[in-house]
Amino acid sequence: MSVDEQEFLATMSGYFKPRHNWREATGVGVTVAVIDSGIETDHPDIAGKTIESVEARVEGNRVVFDPSEAGDSAGHGTACAGIIARIAPDARFASIKVLGAGGLGDGQVFLAGLEYAIKKKYKVINLSLGTTKPQFFAPLHDMLDRAYQAGCIVVAAANNLPQPSFPSVFSSSLISVIKSEATDPLKFGFHYGEVIELTAPGVNVRTAWLDKGHRNLTGNSFACPHITGIVARFVEGYPNLTPFQVKSALYAIARENTPE
Amino acid sequence: MSDENTNDLNTRLRRLIQTIDIANVLTEPVTASIRRLLETSAAALGTDEASVLIREGDGGELRFLSAVGKVADQLVGMTIPSGKGIAGFVLMSGQPMAVSDAGDDATFYAEVDQATGFSTQSILAVPLRFHDEIVGVLEYINRTGEPPFAPFTPEEIDQAAVYADAIAALVNAYEAAKLVRDLSTRSLSASNEDDLVSMREWLSSLRRSADHTERMELAVLLRELSDRGDAERHLCKELLKTMLKYSDEKNESSFLSY
Repeated sequence: MSVDEQEFLATMSGYFKPRHNWREATGVGVTVAVIDSGIETDHPDIAGKTIESVEARVEGNRVVFDPSEAGDSAGHGTACAGIIARIAPDARFASIKVLGAGGLGDGQVFLAGLEYAIKKKYKVINLSLGTTKPQFFAPLHDMLDRAYQAGCIVVAAANNLPQPSFPSVFSSSLISVIKSEATDPLKFGFHYGEVIELTAPGVNVRTAWLDKGHRNLTGNSFACPHITGIVARFVEGYPNLTPFQVKSALYAIARENTPE
Repeated sequence: MSDENTNDLNTRLRRLIQTIDIANVLTEPVTASIRRLLETSAAALGTDEASVLIREGDGGELRFLSAVGKVADQLVGMTIPSGKGIAGFVLMSGQPMAVSDAGDDATFYAEVDQATGFSTQSILAVPLRFHDEIVGVLEYINRTGEPPFAPFTPEEIDQAAVYADAIAALVNAYEAAKLVRDLSTRSLSASNEDDLVSMREWLSSLRRSADHTERMELAVLLRELSDRGDAERHLCKELLKTMLKYSDEKNESSFLSY
């Protein structure tokens, strides 16, 4: 590592230290939008934390969002919220249910969910969904640029299957996460120079599931909420952090976590 | 065509229909291949239960196309509503995942277990992708032997993704075969005896027409010439192209007419 790089890292590592220790933070005052299958709001692990629940409905050629009491149709959204709540227990959730709306196809509904979160100015957005359809490449790219310009920090689950999946391949406007076998959520890693940059626990993660239960889960989409939880801790101390600053900070910490 | 020939054709068609399952003649070889691949992959992944769910329409509903294991017969044909259960999520998210029981009573997708009497405790689900589309979901359930079952590992998820590629190509072939099957079924059911009579009349009038005979003779000549070698085929093609080009430049449908 060059002297310049060491200096840069030292600066970044110290970035949160003077006024705020993110390792002690709990996500106070931060709302995380979970664009997913819904959230089982009365699950004991996350009860009382969901401040808004909406679900997508297809109306003609457009997608509208109605207040929802449908809970979670698949278990995944609840699982993500459970992971985030474990890392940032004081964070609040906005559940944006995009699964099960049918009609226009997955890509468009999921795009509308992202737009909804940006319009509502939710600072941290957890995105475990993606699409491989090329027609959504440009609209998703535009939408993520909008999120970036609005200061929303989008954390997405990477897709490590052969075909590229959007938006996780967009490297500039969001944070993409891939699973590792690590168990300590604070010991996340960084693949410098690769499109999918962050690694976080994603193998046999025990978290909330439907019917007030729990499951052991493996997949990139369970690594993603670990980083979302960390970002919620950052934002507690620095509510106006930009996506660039968040990424730089994650990088600095990850380098500390995995010394060469 | 003489009546005798027509009757002969009818007899042969009837015999053919009696000896084959006409409805499934196109799709059956593909579903059999999917089933074999399911069995092989399930054994490699240490399980007896596997299934292929395919997308039905644009709404995100899933239908069990093929299954192996204890409740395979009950599963095939069963549907899962859009966005429901782990399969529903994998279809919409494109994210492979493994989920295992943490020892409590929470369900995966209760409706399926209730209908089959099966107890799902561990699932590995990967999307079936063909080109840019997610066409379905491949699932492996539980492990061979008695519970508690070891969870599926990340390496097994990667292994399943490889099988998913092959199965997705077969699912695509199945969809194409099904389309042809459905189209022929529809055209057959839409036809009545009058249509068949008029079709026969049209065919025989076509065969009687001098114009048609001449065209067929030309086609035969072309085939014979082009069968003699690459140079002959090339010459034939160039000659015809030149004639057509000349005709186009004259901007007339027939460059030999005055």
